[in-house]
Amino acid sequence: MTSAPLSVRIAVNCLAAAVLGFLILPILAVVPASFNATSFITLPPNAVSLRWYRGFLVDPEWMMTLLNSVKVASLTTAMALVLGTSAALGLQQLSDRASFVLKGAFLAPMVVPVIVTAIALYRSMIDVSMTGSLWTIAIGHALLSLPLVIINVGVSLRSVDPNWHLAAAGLGAGKWMIFRTITLPNILPGVIGGAVFAAMTSFDEVVIAVFLAGYETKTLPVKMWEAIRIEFTPVAAVAATFMILLAMALFLLVRMTGPRDVGHPS
Amino acid sequence: MRARGVSVRLAGIAKSYGTVSALQPTDLLVDAGEFLTLLGPSGSGKTTLLNSVAGYVEPNQGRIFFGETEVTAMPARARNVGMVFQNYALFPHLDVAANVGYGLKARGVGKSEIVRRVAAALALVQLDGYGDRRIQHLSGGQQQRVALARALVIEPDVLLMDEPLGALDRQLRKTVQLELRRLHEAHGRTTVYVTHDQEEALILSDRIAVMHNARIVQLGTAAELYTAPVDAFVAGFIGESNLLPARVLSVAAGNAIVEVPDFARTLQVAAAPEAAAGRPARLLLRPEHIVLDATEGISGAIDEIVYLGEIISLRITLASGAQVWARRLAHSALARGASVQVSWAAQHLRVVPER
Repeated sequence: MTSAPLSVRIAVNCLAAAVLGFLILPILAVVPASFNATSFITLPPNAVSLRWYRGFLVDPEWMMTLLNSVKVASLTTAMALVLGTSAALGLQQLSDRASFVLKGAFLAPMVVPVIVTAIALYRSMIDVSMTGSLWTIAIGHALLSLPLVIINVGVSLRSVDPNWHLAAAGLGAGKWMIFRTITLPNILPGVIGGAVFAAMTSFDEVVIAVFLAGYETKTLPVKMWEAIRIEFTPVAAVAATFMILLAMALFLLVRMTGPRDVGHPS
Repeated sequence: MRARGVSVRLAGIAKSYGTVSALQPTDLLVDAGEFLTLLGPSGSGKTTLLNSVAGYVEPNQGRIFFGETEVTAMPARARNVGMVFQNYALFPHLDVAANVGYGLKARGVGKSEIVRRVAAALALVQLDGYGDRRIQHLSGGQQQRVALARALVIEPDVLLMDEPLGALDRQLRKTVQLELRRLHEAHGRTTVYVTHDQEEALILSDRIAVMHNARIVQLGTAAELYTAPVDAFVAGFIGESNLLPARVLSVAAGNAIVEVPDFARTLQVAAAPEAAAGRPARLLLRPEHIVLDATEGISGAIDEIVYLGEIISLRITLASGAQVWARRLAHSALARGASVQVSWAAQHLRVVPER
């Protein structure tokens, strides 16, 4: 880039800034909207007020849906983490061809339109009489999150030298001790990354939740959707602001626990 | 020297992957306290053999004994074997002390005893006080010694090493070789060592098993391998050698009558056991056994002189066009292009079958 003329560099930087603004501004716009004093979402806000924050925090329905979302996200993360990490470890043991085929199957939920997955789940959940439970939504979200965990853990598994396992086994360690003391510490960044992706996937997922949620099991994004469609109050912007903060907190966590400087003997 | 550790006996061990044979049926007895090296080029089966002893490779057939105990079906973690890997396989997320103490922890040894034994093991490899260092902050040589300490601290019955010096530079390799020799002499632990470096094998080993094409072709002391190689492969792999085409006319009582076209004469020489009339063979003539100042011999001319420090290596083209290497002390007054009469001490000649 150093060789490009100044004018070109300025043009490229401006373009980059414009794209960045296009990506980020709509997200950030929601924050000032949440401080609006009027009953409608307007930009810029006519007067600053915490009115809608109070409205959000004292409304039992908003609080219930927030709690539901936290519960569903926790269940989703737990399921996706256990299944996804096991799957990534298992895939590594298989022959190249078997691993390729199975991986395709595991990653399918990423490719299949969510609406298709939602309808399929809705149908089968009726058959087993499981509609309207938080578990049901969590199962659906785990399905969507599984590929993210498998990919994240799979990537960090590549930095694990198979000889570490042989060395540990030769030193007398059993399979569980090897997993706990050798494998897990070295794939932890991938596991945490996968967990954050799973939690966020669940937290902002609407389609599956709309299909599977009953009144008691409504999640926050579903409530937000309703609020925008029916009420169009800035409470939805407050909820959105909370979600942005949560996302930022989670990704900060990933940054802090992210890949450490684990050098290899050359 | 008190032998620590046990003898290792392999009876008909073989391993194949699909149709590819990694190890032909092999018998081998490593005495308690012996330092035995598996020497061979890559793909010769030496690592497969080593990993069978470690329990990392499950042989298709045959049995393995440590002393009187059969370990064939025993998993690696139950064998009490210390292994040093080529890339050391140190655990990067643990510090030096935790790496060295890992095997003790796996054995349920108490904390204070682990601390004591780890310190002793680090002292043994001259890394006192390095316990809280991170692995990636150590040099290659230090990492190698941590790997050795980790393998030794569990008091293994057998110590296995897979090209442990391969990643070190030449100078450091020399130092560590002598260090390994010292450790072995002090502790006499049964050791099986894998390398493709013949010089390393000669320096370290009590006995050497030369491997080629998935089997042991010769087992013996360094001197036995050097003076009495069983075939042209061993003769060429151990030390410098001239191997000239030869035709075995007859063999009797360990001697053979061979015709050597490049010398245009028929000679009586010592014969390797498998040399036989009609079988393709080579005449082995070591460079240091070639005499150049004879009044009578094969005519040749010096066409290359390579200085190797205290000695020089001379390439001589014979009248037949064949080339042989000879060695002389560096102060010899020999020049390129000079005509020489190539001769030899007859007792050093040996005919070996081609492989």
